[in-house]
Order: sequence, then C-alpha cells, then structure tokens
Amino acid sequence: MAEPIKLAYFIAVKEGASYLGGLLVTDTSGIPLDFRYTEPITPTRLQSILYGKSLEPHIKEEVIQKTLLKELKTPPDLFILSAAELSGGWSGDQKYPVLAVQKSQEAPLAKVGDSFRAGPRDLLLQLAEGAAPLRVMFAASVDAAGQEQAMVKLLEAGYHMDLTEPLERVTAALQSLVVKDA
Amino acid sequence: MFGRVKDAVADAAETLRRAYSGVAVVELNPEPFRVRNHGSPVLGTECHPGLEASTATCLEPPLLREAVEAKVLPSFHAELHDEPGWARWGAAAEVIRMAPLEAGRAAQVAVPPLPRQPRVQGRLEPVARPAARRLSEPIPKPGLRRMEATLGAVAALPGLEVMLALGVPIQGENIQRLPKGLWMRYSLQLVRGTGENVRNLEVLGLFNIPRKGVADLRHDPRQGRLLLRLEAAALRAPRVPFILARRKDDGSLLSCFVEEP
Repeated sequence: MAEPIKLAYFIAVKEGASYLGGLLVTDTSGIPLDFRYTEPITPTRLQSILYGKSLEPHIKEEVIQKTLLKELKTPPDLFILSAAELSGGWSGDQKYPVLAVQKSQEAPLAKVGDSFRAGPRDLLLQLAEGAAPLRVMFAASVDAAGQEQAMVKLLEAGYHMDLTEPLERVTAALQSLVVKDA
Repeated sequence: MFGRVKDAVADAAETLRRAYSGVAVVELNPEPFRVRNHGSPVLGTECHPGLEASTATCLEPPLLREAVEAKVLPSFHAELHDEPGWARWGAAAEVIRMAPLEAGRAAQVAVPPLPRQPRVQGRLEPVARPAARRLSEPIPKPGLRRMEATLGAVAALPGLEVMLALGVPIQGENIQRLPKGLWMRYSLQLVRGTGENVRNLEVLGLFNIPRKGVADLRHDPRQGRLLLRLEAAALRAPRVPFILARRKDDGSLLSCFVEEP
C-alpha cells in the first residue's frame, strides 16, 4: 500500500511589530496531521536599524523558515508556499518540490488533469471539472521531472480538497495565537 | 416838468455854494510858523594845558548804601605819536610786485605722480598665534558595550490543538464519478442506516471523514463541503465514507457512515 500523500503548508506573517510563522502538514483531505509555529519575534529598534530592508526577508527565511523545517520529521510530498513567499526567494531544502498555488480566473481547461504551461515554472492545472484551473508556480530548484511528479500529486490531492485553503487556515491560526499572546 | 427839476437842482446848487462861500478867512499870525534863522555859534577851540583827568561819579543805589560813594576812574593820558603813513601818502605810492608774476623768477613746478597703490589704512594687526599647551591628562578610553544585534533562533511550538479548533473543510466526492455499483451499495447502506425511504432522501454529498474525533460538523451548501471541528482522536482514526442526506418532506438532515467494500 502506497504511503498517503502529505502536504506541507508554510507561511510567515507580520502581525504588528512581530513576525511569526507556521507549518501545517495535512493529508489529502486537508485534515491536519501536524502544526508547528514559531513564537513571535519582535526585532529591537537597534536590530531594525542595523538590518534595514533585509530585516523581513532575513527573519522569514533564515530564522522562521529554517526553524520550522527542522521540525519536519519526514519530508513532505509537496511543500506549498504562498505566491508572495515563493517570489521572495526560497533557500530551503531541495529534497521535496517547493511550489506555490493560487486560484485563477482563467477559463476551465478541456478536462481534469489537463495543464497549460505559461512559463518554465508557471502553469495552469485543471483539478475539478468545470472549475477554474489552479495556477501552480514552482521554485527554481524544481526541475521538469520534479514538476511532472508534483503535478500528479497535486491532481490526487486536489480531487479531495481545496489546495489553496490550508494557507488561509494557517494564517488564521497564527493571528489567533498573536491575539491570545497579547 | 424838466423845468422844475432844473430849477430845483439850480436852487440846491446855489444853496450849497452860499453855504460854503460864506466861510470867513481868518488871518493867522505867521510868526510862530516861521523858521527863525539863528546863527550857528562860531566853532572855537579851547586850549587846555592837558587832558584833565576825567572823573566819573558812580552813584550807588540808596537802598543798599546810605552813603554815596564816588569812585575815581583812572585818568587817560594822551601821547603824541609819529604817523609816517600820512607823509608817505603825500610823497608817492609804493608799487608792490607779486613775486610769482615777476619775470624770470618763475619756476616749473613738477606735478607729483599719483600713488600707484593706495595705501591701506586701518590694517588690523595680525592675531597672535596661540600658544600650544600640552594636555597632561589623557582622555580616558570609552568603555566597550555589546548589544545583541543578531536575530537568534526561535523555538518552534506545537499547535495542533489550535489548528484542530479551526474548522477543517472537507470537500465532497464527485458522486457522478463513482462506479455505479459502488454508489448503489452506498445508497442501500444509507437506507438501512437511516430507515428512510430512498425516494424521500436527497443526497447532499459523500465525504471522507475520520470515524472518530469529530466534535462538530456543519454543512456548507454553497460550496458543497463539510466544516469539521476535530479532536485529537481524529488524527489516528481511519477515514471512512460519510453520506449526508436531507429528507425531502421536512428538510431535516440525515447522515451515516458507509462501509467500503
């Protein structure tokens, strides 16, 4: 029996003056298997001045991302980020395909499983019949073969769940944690 | 008419003439008005032996002094001096020649050149150089302070309970894509499980949900999904097909787990 697919969702947000991130691992139904988050990081005024514009990328990539990735016991099948996180650059592990998913307003493709490649790392994938295709953006570290394997897993998971929804859930959970701490 | 007027005017004129013509002429004695010609006294000179001492009397105001005090002013002494000017005047006039106009005595006067550089007046005296003094006491070295500027690693905290408390959306299966035999089997199990007539049931969806650990369940008809609030037991529980249906007569919801073949 094949191992069930695990999807990892990562997001780092800024709430007020604090930064925090969360990593959610789900099954293909979207049911949480694990969730880790970092405690809020509030940079001091001195740190803000010394780091300047590189403060936010540094906190998100070097501090939050690496801390949460260490918590992964087994590598996920797909590591899914928000589009903003992916465009900011990914310096994480290359053992698993890293990608971002986004709802699109495009017309549905002919049938479920069809894809339309808009760029070497950007494509549209039809997951459900009659629905708008999903926009998928891969990290630079994912080669063509890795992209094909990832698309098969996306199709399988997308049959059961909304692939973009867990990111909203992680954001909501982080916001509730900040409110609880305040 | 005019005759009367003429007469009246003539009468009036006569009257006036008579009134002023009758003024008596009085002969006045012209003696008082005559200028008497008095003969001027003959100027004469009196020879005095000398200048008399002129004296003046100064009267003091009587209120201040009772006695009248006379002061004698010093006498003037006249001296006879020789005045040759009169003699020269009578002899001849002296011609005075002005030296600059005298012939042969004029000299060329060189015009001094203008200064090429004006002299600067009011020049300030240079400031005196300050004397260098050696500071015998050295400045103390500042203390070195260290502030942590690096952003260290942060702790990762488990938060699965938080995530489970949020609603987990479960998408419904596409019933149309199920094999017909499998769907017949599921329908039969739904009728058996609920005891309802299959004609009175409207199937809302088939969902794969955990058999245990579902704390709350809500149907989202707009998106055709279930919102589950789960407990920790749901993580280890197997996922089984779950049918949600609605009775057509009263709209109440019915549900049952179905067994996979």
